[in-house]
Amino acid sequence: MKQGNAVPARYLPAVKKLPLWKRILKHRAIYLFILPAFVWFLIFCYYPMYGLLLAFKDYKFSRGILGSAWVGLKWFRRFSFDPAFWNVVRNTLKISVMKLMLTFPVPIILALMMNAVPNGAYKRIVQTVSYMPHFISWVVVAAMLQKLFSPYGGLVNSVRQAIDPGAVAVHYLGEGRYFYWFVILSDIWKGCGWGTIIYLASLSGIDPALYEAATIDGARPMQMIVRITLPLLYPTIALMLIMNLGNILNVGYEQLLQIQTSQTQHLAEVIDTYVIRTGLTSGSHSYATAIGLMKSAITLVLVVAVNKISDRLTGISLF
Amino acid sequence: MIGKKRTRDYIAKGINYFLLTMLALSIIFPFYYIVVLSFNEGQDTLMYGNLMLWPRKATVENYTNAFTYRTMATSLGITVSRTLIVTLSGLLLQSMLAYALTFKTLPGRGWISMFFYFTTLFGGGLIPTYVLYRQMKILSTYWVLILPSLYSVWNTFIFRTFFNGIPDSIAESARIDGASEMKIYFRLILPLSKPVLATIALYIGVGIWNDWFTGEYFILMRDEIQPAATILNKLLAQSNFSSSAARNEMVAGAGSSLFVNTTTTTTESLRMAFIVITITPIMCVYPFLQKYFVKGALIGSVKG
Repeated sequence: MKQGNAVPARYLPAVKKLPLWKRILKHRAIYLFILPAFVWFLIFCYYPMYGLLLAFKDYKFSRGILGSAWVGLKWFRRFSFDPAFWNVVRNTLKISVMKLMLTFPVPIILALMMNAVPNGAYKRIVQTVSYMPHFISWVVVAAMLQKLFSPYGGLVNSVRQAIDPGAVAVHYLGEGRYFYWFVILSDIWKGCGWGTIIYLASLSGIDPALYEAATIDGARPMQMIVRITLPLLYPTIALMLIMNLGNILNVGYEQLLQIQTSQTQHLAEVIDTYVIRTGLTSGSHSYATAIGLMKSAITLVLVVAVNKISDRLTGISLF
Repeated sequence: MIGKKRTRDYIAKGINYFLLTMLALSIIFPFYYIVVLSFNEGQDTLMYGNLMLWPRKATVENYTNAFTYRTMATSLGITVSRTLIVTLSGLLLQSMLAYALTFKTLPGRGWISMFFYFTTLFGGGLIPTYVLYRQMKILSTYWVLILPSLYSVWNTFIFRTFFNGIPDSIAESARIDGASEMKIYFRLILPLSKPVLATIALYIGVGIWNDWFTGEYFILMRDEIQPAATILNKLLAQSNFSSSAARNEMVAGAGSSLFVNTTTTTTESLRMAFIVITITPIMCVYPFLQKYFVKGALIGSVKG
């Protein structure tokens, strides 16, 4: 939605006609409120932007950012000729598209399902339970997956072997062909309940008279969902889609770092994890900064472009 | 004809309830299973397998061991203190910033808002941030757990939206009486903002409580200031890669190793207890804040 819906409401009395310096003086207490934030953002957000210069330098800590030697586009050239890098880009896009197609619709469907349940204890309990995984970290989710699917006494293998004593334990998390299923399903498991919040709010805003009129006309529940509910949800869905499309290169590195095993690492390596591995673990600071810069720049362009396009086509945009 | 329609609707309704119940159970089960394992004797689990829906040999030994195992106990202390400090100072700093941004007469307000908003669109990224911490000399110190988490633009937006809903008439008379902005903010605005304070406190608190990343990559070789989530991550990462026999012998924090010299606790059962200890506080708090954080999530996602 446009920024316009947050019109600041506060005025200091009788300052409109004063000269600028007097107005500033009048607001000195307000500036004092902002000052710590100003300093903090300069240090923790804007200084790292200056640090992006590393991408064009051969960074040596002892020489500092400015003192290190310029190398031009050396690092950009290096990663564009690096097959490992392109594998990482492929993985990123693959996981992103899969999440967009498979994870994204689940909260919408779930919200419709919850909406069909009358208010009461049952609905409240289901909702509260569905929010639960949102509040735990991927570390814990990974531990749960391990307890359920590990070949060393994981529950699934234990059940299989109890039924058929000859069954060979399968290392589900270590098998490449299952890996993306784990990514998608754990993503749904963790986020689907939380994702319903925004859709449920839109649903509760729908005028009940629409449904009453439709019932009188003999519409059945399924027809009402398709003809009334979904069309009224489209703006919200479009908004969420914009956000997701803009963030197509952000695929949730915490999840991927946590649920990968040594056998599936090549499938789980995405741009973010590659930056962590090359930059922090191996210490190639400049090389990793170049990759990070490229990703941030593309994301910025994507976010702005997706917003513009959506604004043009549907009138819906974030800013 | 009508009867047929009704039956179909009842079936659809039944399926809906069935699926929702299954979903709820599939969410609860992993939690429940971890709790069961954490209350079972570790040696018993190791010998006779994980196939149980109730502790076979119930014990609280895993918990007493987790609390006395020094690395775990200190890390819990670090997490608690860190969560308290960041949540309280974050609430104060972010709400003050948000309040200031609601003054329409503030000269330069557009530029100031842009200054903060831009950081949500573009940033230096991981490595320049790492270099900053290194130059500030806060790497591997307690400060790296506090300072970088003090502000969040999203939370500030949620605060601002809430403050915009408080009519200014409340503060006007106080202002005429000569009250300072500081006083108005603390005496009038904050007491009216309990719902949004609860929401943001939950957001900050949960984020910090669960943050394993900072400790993992910005604190090296200093286990005594590692937060619990990072210690948990190190313990679990180990069991991912080691064989079934070896992983039950040792509990190793980074660099140090320790033999659990009790009869029934194993590394695995210790881990399960530690997981339950770290998630219990959040599980106890969030249901009570539900009606608040749902609102916050709405503002956040619309702004986001």
